[in-house]
Amino acid sequence: MSIQNLNTFDPFADASKGADDDVQDGLVHIRIQQRNGRKTLTTVQGLSSDYDLKKIVRACKKEFACNGTVIDHPEYGEVLQLQGDQRENICQWLTKAGLAKPDQLKVHGF
Amino acid sequence: MTEEEAIFDPTLKKKKKKKKTAFDLDAALADGGGENEAPSNNTDGGAADTKSDEKAEEDDVNVDIDLDFTKKKKKKKKPFSADDLDAIESKEEGAGEGGPQEDGNVDDNFDLDMLDFSKSKKKKKKKKDLDELMAEAEEKAEDKENGCTVEMVSETVDENSTQWGNSDRDYTYEELLNRAFEIMRDKNPDMAAGKKQKFVMRPPQVVKIGAKKTSFANFTEICKMLHRQPKHLLDFLLAELGTSGSVDGNSQLIIKGRFQQKQIENVLRRYIKEYVTCHTCRSPDTILQKDTRLFFLQCETCGSRCSVASIKSGFQAVTSKRAAIRAKTA
Repeated sequence: MSIQNLNTFDPFADASKGADDDVQDGLVHIRIQQRNGRKTLTTVQGLSSDYDLKKIVRACKKEFACNGTVIDHPEYGEVLQLQGDQRENICQWLTKAGLAKPDQLKVHGF
Repeated sequence: MTEEEAIFDPTLKKKKKKKKTAFDLDAALADGGGENEAPSNNTDGGAADTKSDEKAEEDDVNVDIDLDFTKKKKKKKKPFSADDLDAIESKEEGAGEGGPQEDGNVDDNFDLDMLDFSKSKKKKKKKKDLDELMAEAEEKAEDKENGCTVEMVSETVDENSTQWGNSDRDYTYEELLNRAFEIMRDKNPDMAAGKKQKFVMRPPQVVKIGAKKTSFANFTEICKMLHRQPKHLLDFLLAELGTSGSVDGNSQLIIKGRFQQKQIENVLRRYIKEYVTCHTCRSPDTILQKDTRLFFLQCETCGSRCSVASIKSGFQAVTSKRAAIRAKTA
């Protein structure tokens, strides 16, 4: 017999903490857009605002050897924008860095 | 498609297992070797048989049936001579086709057994083909051929269910498992895991228009085939591809940007997975309804009803010249 109220374990610890200690919740949409010619643009929407997107984009730029920027959108929040088709790269990188689980990543486009 | 793999795994393993047991028995019982060897030979022969051989077999049927019994005796006496193996093989190929016409004495039962092995082998091949094709619902090309194989498979399944009826050898676990599955499928043809009708799709006809536009010529045709509103598919395509486009007078879709057929196919596949096939039983026989701003997928086969993701294009980066946009809006 144990009295629930005297337990030191807090049953709501998980809920209040959320999932952001490990990975964020919600889908991360990775899209591709065609520009002129063979050029493309990759956008990453839905990364949690708890992360410093500027640092992420800096790391990505270095890793993928491409340019990129963070765009503040009134509806979709901060969106990462990278030059070229970086869909594969960004998927691998996000999972490797532990920012998102593979099933949270939603890749759009062809 | 994992479900299907799970279903057909036993049959795949069965091939190897059966061969092994046959050869083990050969080693163990010199007498029984003749009998046990026969199926293994037969399976080898069956594997080597291509569809082109089948016709030749059918021609030989009558001749081979006459030779049946004499050859069988030889085989039992000295089961390991190479000449006899060939003879047995050729005979069994003949018997494979002629078997069903023969009466049910002991030898014939045996023949029937072997016949079923060879047939089941063929059946497996075809099933595998079917699987692959089912996996990619809109891999079209051999539509008509597949229609035929579906029928053939159902025939062989019926025969197979009785294949152990008259023999008195030990059954392997895989055989019994297979039999259970076959009976189950025979009794409930409508079951989700049973014989599935392949969902046939015609390939999208994608043609380049100049340097910057792409035409999706059979767009409305595909919409009809999927029983979906052209507008819905259009919304999805444009949102996924992140471009703009419209349906022109010839009911073809003009998309801005350069796309290849493969890419459009990919997007279509995703559309079918999300908005056409039932999420529960994967049947394509579904209706898409709009209810209080949400789209619901109602399945006609299993009766399930579930909401599907709304089509959102999400964030769109500026890809055209900003000056041009400014000039337009101003």
